Amino acid sequence: MVDTPEVGRLVRASADGDQEAWNELVRRFGHLVMAVIRSYRLPPADAEDVYQTVWLKLVEHLDSLRDPEALPGWLRSTAMHECMRQMQRRRRTVPVDPQSDAAVNRPGAENIEAAAMRAELRLALRDGLAELTEEDQALLRLYALAEPYKNVSELLQMKTGSIGPTIGRSLARLRQTHALRRYLGTRPAAENQKGGDRLELAPLD
Amino acid sequence: MAEKLIRAAEAAFTWRTVDADLEILSLETGLVMSDTAQVRGAEQGSPRRYAFHGERLSVEIEIDEDGIVGQLTPPGPARVTLVTPDGPQAAADADEVGCFTLPAPRPGPMRLDCQRDRDRFLTEWTST
Repeated sequence: MVDTPEVGRLVRASADGDQEAWNELVRRFGHLVMAVIRSYRLPPADAEDVYQTVWLKLVEHLDSLRDPEALPGWLRSTAMHECMRQMQRRRRTVPVDPQSDAAVNRPGAENIEAAAMRAELRLALRDGLAELTEEDQALLRLYALAEPYKNVSELLQMKTGSIGPTIGRSLARLRQTHALRRYLGTRPAAENQKGGDRLELAPLD
Repeated sequence: MAEKLIRAAEAAFTWRTVDADLEILSLETGLVMSDTAQVRGAEQGSPRRYAFHGERLSVEIEIDEDGIVGQLTPPGPARVTLVTPDGPQAAADADEVGCFTLPAPRPGPMRLDCQRDRDRFLTEWTST
């Protein structure tokens, strides 16, 4: 967990203009910001832009962030918002077309039908995630990345022991979203049965 | 993590300003898309629109490969500077109706710095 008094001191010192304190914040929280960004699987250049933008924004929010406990949450939600914006931008310049989508038509991939089903599941998962709270989204994205619980604990300010059960509840909520229910409803019954256990988010890329 | 990224994050601190009279203009939530983009879907080359709002000034801009076209509200002259993490890139004077043009920004974070009389306004950082 984050050493709150120490983080508070660093935030206050940074707000007072101490570059060393700022560098220490970057050192402590940089990998956590990157973990959130990685979970969106943006192209590397976009991920770097988002990373830099998050820190540029923090520079301006130092004064309003005197409560150090708010810092990890602020970094997480700012990184998520910037990733979403970046994805919106991408969506405008890179149309998703199942006929030409590299992820669907990867050479050597399974047959077209299976690829189309995977693409469908991926879309359902993406839409389903969007229906959930920011907390559920953050947790499930980190889970999909197989991020170590230690990092998840630090980033989301959760006790390590409560992460597993919370993931279970978040996955249950994901299954209950309109997008997932619609997806599961269109699958044959046998598939549907299996589908419940296979919602491991792996095809989220 | 890449050293380059750490350096960039550390360097972000040089943008710290303690100007109390400065107003930060917030990016409107949800991208403002152009009509053509909505009708014809994602399309290379159609302009991207952004709106930034503050209490005393709003800035709307359109960006495409030819550059930035923008307008200030309320209208009126101002000095508008395009800024990236590397520093100021270009500046333009908004005319009496608040319109200005600037060259296209490089990919990556950018912001606009607007000086009108004694008042200074900065848009939020955003990647374009």
